[in-house]
Parts: sequence; structure tokens; C-alpha cells
Amino acid sequence: MSSIDSSSSPFASGDPTEISEAVIPKGTLWQMMESGIELGGERLNPILVKEARQALKSKQFVITFTLLLLAGWVWSMLGVALLSPGVYYAPGGRFMLSGYFIILTIPVLVIVPFSAFRSLAAEREDGTFELLSITALSSRQIVTGKLGSAMLQMLVYYSALAPCIAFTYLLRGIDIVTIVFLLFWTLVASVLLSSIGLVVATVSRARHWQVLLSVLLLVGLCFVTFFWTLSFVSLIVDAQATAFDDTDFWLAMAAIMTFCISHAVMFVLIAAAQISFASDNRSTKLRVMLLVQQTLWIGWMAFFWIKFEEEEILYILVSVACLYWAFAGACLMGEAAILSPRVKRSLPQSFLGRMCFTWFNPGSGTGYTFTVANLLTLLLVTIVAGLTAELEGFAAARGGFDWVIFVTLAVAYVIVYLGVARLVTLLLRQLGRVTMLLTFLVTLFLCVIGVALPLFFQAWLEGYSRMSYSIVQMSNWCWTLEEAADGNLLTFSLVPIIIYCSAVVVFFLNLLFAIYEVEQVRLATPERVLQDEREMHPSTDEKRGGSSPWDDLKAT
Amino acid sequence: MGGESRVKSQESRVKSLKSEMPEQPVIDMRRLHRFFGSTRAVNDISFEVMKGEVFGYIGPNGAGKTTSMRILATLDIPTYGDALVDGFSVINDPDRVRRRLGFMPDYFGTYADVNCREYLDFFARAYGLRGNERRRALAHVMGFTKLDGLAEKPIRGLSKGMKQRLCLGRSMIHDPSVLILDEPAAGLDPRARIELRQMIRELADNGKTILVSSHILTELAEMCDRVGIIERGELLAVGTVAEIQRGQITHCQIKARVLENVAAVATWLENRGDVESIRVDGQLIRFSHVGESDAQAALLREMILAEFAIAEFGIEQRSLEDVFMHVTRGVVQ
Repeated sequence: MSSIDSSSSPFASGDPTEISEAVIPKGTLWQMMESGIELGGERLNPILVKEARQALKSKQFVITFTLLLLAGWVWSMLGVALLSPGVYYAPGGRFMLSGYFIILTIPVLVIVPFSAFRSLAAEREDGTFELLSITALSSRQIVTGKLGSAMLQMLVYYSALAPCIAFTYLLRGIDIVTIVFLLFWTLVASVLLSSIGLVVATVSRARHWQVLLSVLLLVGLCFVTFFWTLSFVSLIVDAQATAFDDTDFWLAMAAIMTFCISHAVMFVLIAAAQISFASDNRSTKLRVMLLVQQTLWIGWMAFFWIKFEEEEILYILVSVACLYWAFAGACLMGEAAILSPRVKRSLPQSFLGRMCFTWFNPGSGTGYTFTVANLLTLLLVTIVAGLTAELEGFAAARGGFDWVIFVTLAVAYVIVYLGVARLVTLLLRQLGRVTMLLTFLVTLFLCVIGVALPLFFQAWLEGYSRMSYSIVQMSNWCWTLEEAADGNLLTFSLVPIIIYCSAVVVFFLNLLFAIYEVEQVRLATPERVLQDEREMHPSTDEKRGGSSPWDDLKAT
Repeated sequence: MGGESRVKSQESRVKSLKSEMPEQPVIDMRRLHRFFGSTRAVNDISFEVMKGEVFGYIGPNGAGKTTSMRILATLDIPTYGDALVDGFSVINDPDRVRRRLGFMPDYFGTYADVNCREYLDFFARAYGLRGNERRRALAHVMGFTKLDGLAEKPIRGLSKGMKQRLCLGRSMIHDPSVLILDEPAAGLDPRARIELRQMIRELADNGKTILVSSHILTELAEMCDRVGIIERGELLAVGTVAEIQRGQITHCQIKARVLENVAAVATWLENRGDVESIRVDGQLIRFSHVGESDAQAALLREMILAEFAIAEFGIEQRSLEDVFMHVTRGVVQ
């Protein structure tokens, strides 16, 4: 490669004008456009180029495309025949669009995401993934290339049905906003499903698992497509169902959109992390994304809370966030606390940097602390928002301070259950290898046992029909939170105190076992790597060299 | 003898390489271990390969060749130890290793619905080659592997030999300084093997460092400067064929042609302590002798002094196969 030793490379140009001629477009407009397209093509993701070449020649694409065109043509004939003679004077756009929409959703919501799944899974099955992974492409580029290819297929299918959809607008009865709204959200759903398909493809390399996963994914996609089509066709048929002139509707759409984008990014990052090299840092980017999602969630919920002044929003904010962090925390705690020397080269060095960014490093202890930190931030924001409302005399004031007990208890429960699960997995690690799945199952088991055990115990003591909430149900997070939300927990004031204390104890105990992870320090980059870096990027070295009067001092 | 001259030329090539090359090896395996459960696929392997050297990696099936090559190609990580390519660790700097290394695995790894040019073009793009540089790389590789005439042919229509060439082309598309070739000659016809051998030799002459594994030992003996013999994950011997022979085999086969009194010569030899396994075939006597060259010269002198009519006396050169059979035990784990 030229970056290694361009002078000795057999591919190096002997003529210095050769590249510049290709770069500087000249001649007619057509030639300039061609040069521009060629230059753009050079910058495209290689996977996207390869997949596009492959897809256009593949039987699957040709068959799907032909069937789509045929179905569109058949529905055009059939629909017009069914609408006749009213088609000449009555609006028939909605009726025709519902048919085209059903035809479009099958390739876009089933075939494209499944193709994305198969595309990555087949690379791993056929061994071509190994050849890809040793190229200069990063794992993220591989995944985004696959996703880009899926999006390209979506656009081709959209283009195929575009004349038919334009035809429905000409038939009247349907406005352009509704059409764009439907097509846009279907596109978003397809991108999201394709990114999920890519994650599923990275779950296992074993053939039997791949078969099982492909069946599950296909069933899931059909299920989603069915409900998606059902709900959107009803929206097409019922002209009054959409509220395009309502600002709140568009705000809700914007909120959903941000979550769709953040989740698609998250899935891409997960898939990329799954296929990355063993010594890579697979966790930090995901943690940053978790933080972004938390910020988005808090931001949108705070906005809606201020706008609508509904106390329920605080409950939704905390409940959803607690479930989210319970799931994310259980996964993060499954990470091994081993940092490769490669990862250690980029660890923060300053005290402030270590204090803020250590929790983004891979490891179960940092994962738990990261989760707790996010939960406490959420709690802080919720309490500040609630108390402000109390002082201002709106929203939460109507329900008193029940919400405070609810939100603090919800957060404390997550801290306790995750913390205990981590302590259990630390013990299990002494016996053997603990995977992320095992950590997740241990957490789930503890959560279920925490609910089931006191229920059975009290039912055995008192009988099921006479059961009422008691201190025995302390570990039963479901019932306790329900009682807290209803404001009935004031009679059992000991319960929240014990749970808060347990959360504090469990958290500090876990922090104690996270000391090893916190103690990790930056390793110096080997001289050979620095030398290579200087050869690859000589400008950075020039920039550094001699520009600062402190450089010599540093060197000495 | 042809074999003898080949061994000599290998040794002189290795010597000249050692004198020319810088001190740092291009491939440096450092106490490499790879365990799969209780199976020790690679167990404490260390060796070095210098710039421009063709290193043959031989061993029975399941010996650990592919595992160690996969580690070197940054497809797997060792349980313990490390491997360096041009001074970069395969564990800590895989991206830098990948830029310098081309890997040809023991499978084709081709895509359906693409032709030879598209296949190579894709990998050239994947290695970051752009514009004219990529076009030149494609032309160079297709010319080198003699695939020019098949550029537009779909890969699925290629013969095994052509696919092997295509895969070799893919592994060298980014002009790596190191090539790892896992069983490149497997399943090829004799002509394709000879052509492949010539290509590998040419690449080495152009300064590429090549690590090649094969079961066809005669092939390796022809093209490799040095070999490493591996069995049950352990490296049993490293060096030129002659070096290994000297180090591992204390007996050498001697062939003598006696014009008369063959039985008397055989009896005379039987009474010596340094001679074993005497076989008489007409005028020819073959036996195994324990000792170095000076001991063999002393033996010949004694035979002449004993007034035996010795018309021919020489060491039967051992092939790489003989060395391999002697060094390995055929045990699999």
C-alpha cells in the first residue's frame, strides 16, 4: 500500500500528473459530471459498491423487483376495475394507495431487512468475513456498508412503485403529506429493522443458531409488517385519523424520530462491536450512545412535562428509564474487566479525565457504576423538575409527594438488583467464564425470584385470597412500586428506608470490587507504532516539532 | 547430485539473506500458545522469518499450522505469547499488521455473482486503494497472476487453479511485504503447482517475506529457504533441510559399490560398531553410518586399506520427506 512505502510500491505512479488529471474535471459539462461521479464513487463504502454490483445480478433481487412491478401493475388494473365507473368522478386515491402500500411493505419491511441479515450472516458462514476483517475496513464500515446496501435496495423498490403512488395522488382523495408521511415512516422502519437484522446476524456463527435466528427474525419481520400495514392502511382509509395540523402530533413524531435514529445508530454500533477484533474496545462507543439516549429521553420527557403539566409523565420517565438501565446494566456487567494494552494506550491520564471517563472503559465494575451514575442523574433531574413544579404550583402538586417515593424506590431497586447480580457473577467468575448472556440471566433470575418468593411465602402463610401488602413484600419490586404510586407506602415507612440503605450498601460494596478496573493506567505507545504514525502522518509530527518552547523541556 | 546442489544453493541463499538483511525479523513468533479448552493447538512456538525469505511450515493435519497462521493473520488471538509482523504486535496493532500482510487461507472465500475484476477491485477498495493507484494495482496483479484474459469471467466459472491464482492476487493486491499462504497448492494439477511455485519464488525475489504451509513436501523443498516442522502444536525443528538433517538425524545412509568380494565387505562392515542396517543388492551395499563427515572419510580409508575394490562411495541425500518422517511421530491430538 502506498502508505507503507509508496516509492517502492509497484502501483505507485511514475507520472505525477496522472492523478491530478483525474481529479481536476475539465471539458464539457457531461465530462465534468462524469468525473464528479467517479470521484464520488471513489469515496463510497467499498461494501456498498460490492453489494450493489452483487445485488443487481442476484436472482433474489431480480425476482423481488419483477414481482413488485407485476403486483403494482395487477393492482392498478384490478383497483381501477373495482372503482369503475366511479373512478372518473369520485376520489379513489385512498383505496388505490392502500393496495400499493401493502405491496410495498412486503419487500421493504420483510425482504430488505432479511437480506441485510443474510448478507452479513453469509459472509461469516462462507469465510469471506475473515478476508474482509483483515482489510483496512473497520467493523463499523462493514456494518454501515451492509446497511447502506439495504437502503439502496429500499430506494430501488420505492422507485419501482413511485409511478403507481403518483397515480394515486392524481386519483384525488389523498394529500401529498399523507403519502410522504407513510413512505417516510415505512423507510425509517425498514432502516431500523435492517439494523436489527444486522445485529441478529452477529449473535452466533454456529450454523444451527443461524438457522434458528433466521426463522425467528423472519417470523418477527412478518409480525411487524402485518401490524404496520394494518395500522397504516387504517390511517389511509380513515381520512380523519391523522392530525397533521396539530403541533403536538409533529412534536411526538420528532421525538419518535430521534429515538429511531439513536436506536439505529445503537444497533449499528452493537453489530460493529460484535464483529470487531478481540483486543478492540467494544464498550466505550456503546456507553456513549447509552448516554445520548438517556439525554434524549430526559430531554423529550422534560419538554412534554413542561408542556402538558401531567404528573404521569414523571412516572413514565422514571419507569421506562429504570427498565432501560436494568437491561443495559445487566449487559454491561457481563463485560470482562480485561483491557488490552491497545485499549490502555488511550486511557485518560489526568485526574479529572480519569474521574469522568473511567466509567466508559470496558468492565463489569465500570459498567455497574456507569449505570448507577446515569440512574442518579435521572433521579436528580426528576426531583428537581418535580420540586420546581411544587414551588410553581402546577402538575405534581396535585398528587403530593408520592411520586418522590416512587421514583427514588424505582432507582434504588435497580441499583440493588443489579448490584447483587454483579456480586453473584463475581463469585461465578471464580469458577469459570461468565458471558454477557449468563450475567443477564442471573439478573433476570434475581428479579423474578425477588417477586415470586415473597408472594409464595405470604400466600403460604395467609392464603392467597387474604393477602395484602406487608413488609415481607419488600423485595417484590412490582408490588412495592405499585403501592408507592398509589400512595399507600406511607404506612410501611420502614420499607423505603431499608431499600435505600440496601442500595447504598450494595453500591459501595460493588465500588470496592471495581477498584481493579479503576486502577488501570495508560500504557506508553511503543516506539515502532509512533515511528509508523510519523511515517503515515508526517504533518502531525511537523506541527508538533519545534512549535512549542516547552517541547525541549518535555523531552528532557 | 541435483538435491545436493539445491541444498547448497538454499544454504548460500539463506547466508546471503542473513548478511544482507537488517537485524529485525519480519515475522517474529514469540512463545505463541493457543488453547481450545484442553486442546493445545499451538504450544510455545517461537521462530523468526527474515525479509525476502520463503519459510515452509510443515506438519501433519491438526498439528497447529493453520491456527498459528490465523494468529499471524490477525484472525485469532493467542492464549499466551505474541507474534510480531515488521515489529508490530498482532494483538495490539492488528491494523498496522494488516496493512503489511496478505493472507491466503486454505479456502477460496469468493463471492457469487461477481467477476474476477470486480472481486479484485472490491478488495483493492477495501485496502484503501483509490483511483489510479487502484487501477495500477489491478493491472499489476492480474498480469502477475495471468488473469488478464479472465477479467470479466464470473468467479463461479473458474477452475480450481484459476481460483487459487485469484486468491493469491487478492492477498497481494495491496502490495504487502509479508504473505501468509495456507496450503496454496492443495488440489492443483502439476502444471498449476509449478506455476504457483514460480510465482512464490518470484515474489520472494522481489523482497516479499513468505510463510507457506503445504502437505506436498517436495514442493516446499523446492521453493523454501527454511522450514519449520510442527506436530501437536509444538515446533520440532527449524532451519534449512540440511540443518535439520544435521541436527536431528545422527545416522546417514551410505551407498558403496564394490567390484568383488561383496559378502566379505558386508561381513567386515557388520563387525564395526558404527555401521547398522546393511543391505546388499548385487554389487551395491547400503548401510547406515553413525558419525560426521570425518568419520565417513575414515571409514572409506579403512575399506581401501583393507584392499576392498571400492568403485563408488557416497552419502545418499535425504529428502525433506525423510526428514519430516524422522522428525514427526504421526501423533494427533
